[in-house]
Amino acid sequence: MMDTQLLISGVIFGLSLGGIFFLMTIGLSLCFGLMRIISLDQLLYYSIGGYITYSVSLAVGNIWLGVLGGVVVGGLAALAVERIVFRRIYDRDLPFTMITSFGVLIGGVGVIKYFWGLVPRPVPVPIDAQVFIIGTEIPVYRLVIIGIAGLVYVGIWLFLNRTIIGKAIRAGTEDVEHVEGLGINVYRLFTITFVIAGGLSGLAGGLHAPLIMVDPNMGLEVLAFVFMVVIIGGLGSIKGTLVSSFLVGQVVSIGSLVYAPLAQMAPFAIMLLILLVRPTGLFGSQMLKR
Amino acid sequence: MTNNDDILTVAGLNVAYGESKALFDVSMSVRRCQVVACVGRNGAGKSTLLKSIAGFLKPTSGSIVSNGTSLVGMAAFAVAGMGIKYIPQDKKVFSDLTVRENLELGSYASQDYDWAPVIDYFPKLQVLMDRKAGYLSGGERQMLMVGRAILGQPKLLLVDEPTEGLAPSIVMHLRNVFKELAKKTALVIVEQNLPLVCAIADKVYALKEGRIMAELTDRESIKPEACEIYL
Amino acid sequence: MAAAMNVLRWWWGLVLAFALVALVRVFLPLPFANEIIIFSIYTMGCNYLLGRVGFISFGQPAYLAVGAYAAAFYLFYFGNNPYVGILIGVLAGIVVSFAIGPLFVRLRGDYFALVNLALAVIIFYLMQKVLADITHGDNGLWFLTSLTSTPVLDLTKPDHFFIFAFLVAFALWAFYKYLDDSIFGACCLATKLNEDKVKFLGYSSFNIRLFAFVIANTTTALAGAMYAVYLGFVSPEITSPARAADPVVVTILGGVGTLYGPIVGSIVYTGMKDVLSKVLGNWELVIGFVLVFIMLAGEKGIWGTLEPLIKKTFLRVTGNAADQGGSSR
Repeated sequence: MMDTQLLISGVIFGLSLGGIFFLMTIGLSLCFGLMRIISLDQLLYYSIGGYITYSVSLAVGNIWLGVLGGVVVGGLAALAVERIVFRRIYDRDLPFTMITSFGVLIGGVGVIKYFWGLVPRPVPVPIDAQVFIIGTEIPVYRLVIIGIAGLVYVGIWLFLNRTIIGKAIRAGTEDVEHVEGLGINVYRLFTITFVIAGGLSGLAGGLHAPLIMVDPNMGLEVLAFVFMVVIIGGLGSIKGTLVSSFLVGQVVSIGSLVYAPLAQMAPFAIMLLILLVRPTGLFGSQMLKR
Repeated sequence: MTNNDDILTVAGLNVAYGESKALFDVSMSVRRCQVVACVGRNGAGKSTLLKSIAGFLKPTSGSIVSNGTSLVGMAAFAVAGMGIKYIPQDKKVFSDLTVRENLELGSYASQDYDWAPVIDYFPKLQVLMDRKAGYLSGGERQMLMVGRAILGQPKLLLVDEPTEGLAPSIVMHLRNVFKELAKKTALVIVEQNLPLVCAIADKVYALKEGRIMAELTDRESIKPEACEIYL
Repeated sequence: MAAAMNVLRWWWGLVLAFALVALVRVFLPLPFANEIIIFSIYTMGCNYLLGRVGFISFGQPAYLAVGAYAAAFYLFYFGNNPYVGILIGVLAGIVVSFAIGPLFVRLRGDYFALVNLALAVIIFYLMQKVLADITHGDNGLWFLTSLTSTPVLDLTKPDHFFIFAFLVAFALWAFYKYLDDSIFGACCLATKLNEDKVKFLGYSSFNIRLFAFVIANTTTALAGAMYAVYLGFVSPEITSPARAADPVVVTILGGVGTLYGPIVGSIVYTGMKDVLSKVLGNWELVIGFVLVFIMLAGEKGIWGTLEPLIKKTFLRVTGNAADQGGSSR
């Protein structure tokens, strides 16, 4: 019988973790849906987000400004990479782009190590307060993260369903050539999508930073989870990533209350189970062949 | 029939998919408001020709010129921006978007928000405005694709097998639409439906295994039997 | 005479390549040479998967760990014979590959890559925390001193180990060359290029991929077992996600899909790592950019670019000789 308080804080913890995962995986999902690339380098923008948050908050004293900085720099880094690297290789096949993005990730981590060194750095939590929900003490910051993730979901939904660029992107996930045939500059769509992904990854890193210590390998540590979320949810589906983000978040969180060591592995087991039944993930698009 | 009237001139076009050659030394021309048909069996290279003109395939050699500008090497969206619109086979529309949103995309691309001509040609679309395009029938999709393509007053439409798999009544409707369109827009239509082609075409090119076998320019001689010989 | 010529022609590439490797041993320090051989074997698995089957795996450390830890468990808890340890490592590789192969091989290329990576992370976590009781977690398993000397080639001695590793590698490369030339090799390549056509021909692409998966990952496990015996110790570091890049980078660097790419890649990579880590603190920067650069420049890698050139010149030279000799055809 589990302590209700523990359970509730576990659920909230899981929701906030799921929120962080979601921010990272929307970008990945969109990049895949539209450009058919697996942008492993998004984990770099996540790390950048964390580190910029650290540095700016250290310099200015305001952590939220740090997070904002993380978003901006993450987006800018993404823009640079898109222009310099990806623009040349969109027509290549998937393994090719995967390896290249992996190269960017590794190289970028090297740059981070160069500037900030190897020692993990702490980032103070912007909101120290706690609040009582059903008799349990919950850190407000975690609720804020959940809130921000929710806002982002609404924002992305509005963007994709109510703006013309968003609709063009949705159309592009179905058939990019066809969109181009209408006369729309799809390369600009690619850039926009990539930068949005980078910014969101930076946001995830910035928000996560106070909860963990920023270290050069933070991207790699989170990499497996992020990709498990993406695979479970299915590449290319926004709804899928939302569901699986929070699912994985809960599994890790509640799981660690039940039996800590296994909690980290549980998402993996779930992923394998789901892939056994549906090799393209819960909501993944069946239409894409190898 | 001066050269100024030519809105598209293709000369000596060679196109290959990797190592396998698809088009050999193809030459053709289209005048303003002319209806040009490309006929041929499956695999003859008709779609390849349209895709190359539209900018989706890079030719290995040859030229494609429209109003003095070379189209070779241009990005496909730039070609469309020049008023040359490509309507692909397979009646693919954006399934997750509504008919309205499909048209909105067309308007956004061409900056033409006047849908009156589109509804004029295809009144059915008005009824289907808020239906997701994925739920349309084949004929309705074709209507949407053509309707969307005429936004922006294109000077040339490249249409790939528009009547494939459609009921005779819709084929008739499309035939009339094309005839009307030809008053303002040139058309290059790839078709297997010879009677349709012969009814509306001013000029017919017969393609076989990647080569132009014949060019029929005399309206009198454009009959299904005449085309058959060359295929 | 013709038969002998054919045999010679088949073997001469291998002999030449390994003669060069032996030269490396002569001119460079022994640890370097040993490292290169084992690393080449490690990379060969990844190279085969990516180049011949079309699968990219970011999780090769997982199978390395399987081989290494299997050998380590044996050598730490049960016995002392390094040969047996290596054998156990290989067997573990076969068993694990057959166990998870059927699931992984059905997946799309991108899912496959990520799933393998997840596997590497899981195994890392398993060895580091979950099974820490038997793996001793980050402290690792030490058994260097308990290894027994073996007759003929004493694997506890590095220079003997080199000879052993050299022979194993030679045999392994001959095996892969044989695979390449066989129907199976053709099937693999065909499946990579166009799976549907292969199925239409009556081959089971699933079986082809499964066997290739087992062969490649068993090779990786072999490398793991060899690492275990050579170093005399195994720790979770071997399967850390940070090391997941190594086999991929070396594969690309050497030339994906080529037979000798892994050897060339290993030599260059280990050399670079050695030189750069003395100059720069962190050479990951360089590796990352090198990888991106190679990809943008055509993804052929060092041997991938050299091999066609060498073949062309060689053919031209022998072609001329044949003409002058006036041989009839």
